[in-house]
Amino acid sequence: MLRKSSPLLAWAGLFLFFLFSVSEAFGLDRPTGDVILTVTGNVSQTNANGRAEFDLAMLEKLKGRTATMQTPWTEGQSQFSGPLLREILAAVGATGQTLKIRALNDYVAYVPYSDGIELQTILATHLNGSPMSVRDKGPLFLIYPFDLDPSLYNEKYFSRSVWQISEIEVR
Amino acid sequence: MIGRADIKPHRLGPVSRMTMLLQISVVFLVIGLFYLLVDISHRYSILQNGFRENAVWSIYQLDRESRKFLEALHRLAEDHDLSPASTRAAVTRYDIVYSRIKTVEQGRFDINVRADTDIAKGVMAIKALILENQPLFDQLSTGTRVPDESLARAKRNLDGLLCLTEELLTYTNNAASVYRSDTRADLSSLEMRSAVLIGLLVVCVGCLVYSLRRQLKSMQEAGTRLEAMADRLNAAYLDAEAGNRAKSQFMATMGHEVRTPLNAILGTAELLQLATLPPSIASGVGTIRRSGEALLEIINEVLDFAKIEHGNLVTETRAVDVKEVAAAAMEMIRGRAVENGNEVTLDIDPTFSGENVMTDPTRLRQVLLNLMSNAAKFTSDGVITLRLYDTKGPGGSAIRFDVRDTGIGIDPANLGRLFQPFTQGDASISRRFGGTGLGLAICKQVVERMGGRIGAESRPGEGSTFWFEIPRIACSENAGATENDLMEDGEVMSAPVPKLNVLLVEDNKINQEVATGLLRHLGQTVTIAADGLQAVSQVQAQSFDLILMDMQMPVLDGIEAAKRIRALGGRCATVPIVAMTANASDHDRQLCEDAGMDDFRSKPVSLSQLQELICSATEAQAVLPVPRIEEGDFQQRSEELVSVLGKHDFIDLLRHFFSDADGLVAELSNAIARGDFGAADRLLHSLRGAATSVCLQQLADQVQAMRERGPSDQGVSQLRDELAARRQRLAA
Repeated sequence: MLRKSSPLLAWAGLFLFFLFSVSEAFGLDRPTGDVILTVTGNVSQTNANGRAEFDLAMLEKLKGRTATMQTPWTEGQSQFSGPLLREILAAVGATGQTLKIRALNDYVAYVPYSDGIELQTILATHLNGSPMSVRDKGPLFLIYPFDLDPSLYNEKYFSRSVWQISEIEVR
Repeated sequence: MIGRADIKPHRLGPVSRMTMLLQISVVFLVIGLFYLLVDISHRYSILQNGFRENAVWSIYQLDRESRKFLEALHRLAEDHDLSPASTRAAVTRYDIVYSRIKTVEQGRFDINVRADTDIAKGVMAIKALILENQPLFDQLSTGTRVPDESLARAKRNLDGLLCLTEELLTYTNNAASVYRSDTRADLSSLEMRSAVLIGLLVVCVGCLVYSLRRQLKSMQEAGTRLEAMADRLNAAYLDAEAGNRAKSQFMATMGHEVRTPLNAILGTAELLQLATLPPSIASGVGTIRRSGEALLEIINEVLDFAKIEHGNLVTETRAVDVKEVAAAAMEMIRGRAVENGNEVTLDIDPTFSGENVMTDPTRLRQVLLNLMSNAAKFTSDGVITLRLYDTKGPGGSAIRFDVRDTGIGIDPANLGRLFQPFTQGDASISRRFGGTGLGLAICKQVVERMGGRIGAESRPGEGSTFWFEIPRIACSENAGATENDLMEDGEVMSAPVPKLNVLLVEDNKINQEVATGLLRHLGQTVTIAADGLQAVSQVQAQSFDLILMDMQMPVLDGIEAAKRIRALGGRCATVPIVAMTANASDHDRQLCEDAGMDDFRSKPVSLSQLQELICSATEAQAVLPVPRIEEGDFQQRSEELVSVLGKHDFIDLLRHFFSDADGLVAELSNAIARGDFGAADRLLHSLRGAATSVCLQQLADQVQAMRERGPSDQGVSQLRDELAARRQRLAA
């Protein structure tokens, strides 16, 4: 099969490989829409002044999770969906022990790095299928997998469940 | 000996009442504790599962965000900084406040903010203010240019927001403080209640333990008391037992002591009767003999009862023809019944078969005799019926004996007491009729021992029916053997008695005389030994055909003497030894057998018994029963006799017989007229014996039939006719 393949196709493949390698080497894409999340601190992949900035589209491209669960802040069962925290951390090449998560109102919570890696934690962008506005605790809401592990359902994790997230500092 | 105070009535004592009360309290307390536990666990689960936001914190956030929002708005409205960044900041701040008010409104809090009307009112006012300005900020967020006056109006409008949020914050903080203190009070009351309940429980358990200890102690005391009482009872029982044993011993001794002279009296009377006496003396002797027999009967009854009371009643079981036992018993009672002018009938059910029944004939006869003699005693000029029929007893088929009389009857109230010892129908009865009052008690014991039951029905003035049942146990063997046992005295009379050399071993002088008299009458050669030792030496000195051995003797008793004689060997090892004693117990019988004696007779021994003993000792000929000779055989036998004696002598013999018979019939007639049925029976007996020996079998049968029916004038005249007819035939 390979022997029969045309030289043109081989060149195209080589080009594509090069393109990917370059984009990886040069870090993240640049956001095209409004920046909704900024990742700072120990990150190797950046796209603006040593920071990694994300718009909604970039986040939606990352591998995510959709889960239905009960939370103390919503009525009844709610469906949350959004990128996995570990995917975001991988995308920015983060290394560290703690994530300092800041909200729009300057509320700050310190989340262990392992919570992002070991748990199926997501930064929810959608609630019940609709994007979350600031008025609905958007644009990003750190949601622990309460549906997978009921033992998480306590104040310790509630206080880490930051809403209206604007920035993550990796330390 | 046993105090009344020792036995406490069984009633709930104060101790057990207290225990019961405590137990109930403990149950209630445990229920209370359980409810408390449920309450605590419920509270805990609320704490665990229902996550509550901190209301004060949320409202504080609202207040803070409102402040930041107003600052941003200030930049727009007052500073006229309408750059996109400031606009965006203001819009974001508005959105945050918006989200905050929604959180306050929807969130779940530690204190119920929606139930508190003041908080709810404040929240509503803030919300209204925020929503009022929503269109402006919607516009701003889309980047539309907003007139300055709109912004200024909004600024003025929202200036009151901070006052509202501050007020709400203060109020909520106060409410939270109140809530916290309430909760604390609640908790402390819960704690108090638990403490009280547990305290009560501890007290109850303590009391319970105390009361249990008390109960245990009183139980131990009761146990000790019971033990002491048991000891006392045991001692009392042993005392009573010892007294009873002494009584029994006394009874046995007395029985022996009384029977020995009685033996002499009866024997002497019997001897006197055998001699020819003037009629006046003869009747006196008869009275002596009858009274002696009655006395003997009473003594036997008393001793029998003593034996029964001691559980020494032994019954044997063998094949018996019940009909025959009943008929024999009836005959024995007939004389006495007829004296009172009673008619005696034996009514045997046509379908009844009395053969081959396994029972004790002696005891059966004893019971029958007792019931019938009672009937005869309490009935005059009436009818006594003995009825035999099959019935169904509790344990299967049974034989029922009804003794019915037409006597004075018994009051139904007294029927139950009849079978108890020392009891008669009523006190006047014993005065009128005498008797020990033991008869029926003995009957009851005997019948029950035989596996049967006994009872009575009666109507005063009309008569009584005494009945008993014994279980019918059939046996495969022929009951023929019993005939020998049932043979009455007279039936051996006519057999020829062999002449023997008899050794009489007897210590009592009078008994020696009586026995010697009886034996001499039977034509025996008698040698007397006064004790066992003499007997042994006599046996060594000469040879005897029969030894009659008294059991209780000085120097050497009967048992030991018998053993020694047997030990001598030779002729002495086989010579028949017959024990004679007043102690007629089964144990004695066994002792005699073990000592090697051949037979056993309880004293007083009658002439006929002696005769029987002599006959059986020789084993010469069949003694019992008298062989029955049919008319044909009679011919053969009389021919034999004629050939042996010669015709002349035989006819002389017959003549002699008829003249004797005339005399006997005359005496019989006299006896009947006197009412001496015993004498009548004996006369008939002799007549029958004589008739048999001269081969007049038909006549003998007729005499026997008359004996069974009971002697009567009509019977005597029939007998006269028959004798006359026979005499004519002889003359012809």
